[in-house]
Amino acid sequence: MVKLTSEMKEGLRVPGKGGSLVYLATSSADGKPNIAAMRYIDTFKDDKLLISDMFLLKTKANLKENPNCIIAICHPLDSGRDWVFKGKAIDIEYGFPPDFDWYGVKAKEILDGWGDWHQKEPPDEVPPDVVYSKPAQRGVVVLHVEEIYSIEKGKVGEKLQ
Amino acid sequence: MTVKLTDRMKAWVKIGCHLNVASKSGVPFVTVSRNVKSVSDDEVVFALSPDEYSVIESALAENPWVAFGVSRAGGIRACYQFKGKGNVDKEGDIYNLKVKISEFYCTKPGCYAGQRLDLKPAQECEEWEHDLWTDLPK
Repeated sequence: MVKLTSEMKEGLRVPGKGGSLVYLATSSADGKPNIAAMRYIDTFKDDKLLISDMFLLKTKANLKENPNCIIAICHPLDSGRDWVFKGKAIDIEYGFPPDFDWYGVKAKEILDGWGDWHQKEPPDEVPPDVVYSKPAQRGVVVLHVEEIYSIEKGKVGEKLQ
Repeated sequence: MTVKLTDRMKAWVKIGCHLNVASKSGVPFVTVSRNVKSVSDDEVVFALSPDEYSVIESALAENPWVAFGVSRAGGIRACYQFKGKGNVDKEGDIYNLKVKISEFYCTKPGCYAGQRLDLKPAQECEEWEHDLWTDLPK
């Protein structure tokens, strides 16, 4: 059973709060991979990672047919945060029953806490030529982490938990 | 359709990339390539160390699809995702993963997210990109 360390929880926050930019990696059910960078990242309890569903397209389609998912640190790399988190994810969208359960997490507690992430942690540090013009959040992706491995130089693939 | 990366894309890809491959049944595996051997209009060769390659070896053996994005600051400055099919040649201790790119997308959050850029004529793609960004990696 995975338990995120305090160092990981510190690093898995939005970049503007000292966290990290991450890559969200998914696959279609028949094996076509997809990878996209994400700014909105947080942790919940000891084994869940959260990502805002804002402008997700292929990622969203993939998760609807295949929950296998990875979140990896993108930036900063080679700075002590070279982690990959692997597990099962779902996009908890507005309209899910409040008591919908994903590995011990209820939809209501996720949407109440992170359902308006733009308001909660506005993208002040994002360059103006990259930031979106209007937020359009439709839900929150919850990754139940089952395995953590390293992407540290020379140790890529080493299981950390 | 001929795929042609822009000069800016090529410059950013050279700083290294996060690669995602998947098993036939859709289980993803992510590795990092810190060394990019070469980049042409439609092909990138990643020079993977044994540990970098070990993560993706089994999935790549059964499914050639590779998706990748630029590592480090490229995750925010280089808003692209590239996809193609890869094959591997071993050269000493290095595994050269050659990916023939067949599609690439914009990942800038907002109205351009998910737009398939390789379907634009090359000149149009260059101009579209130039209107948004001109910066190159430091």
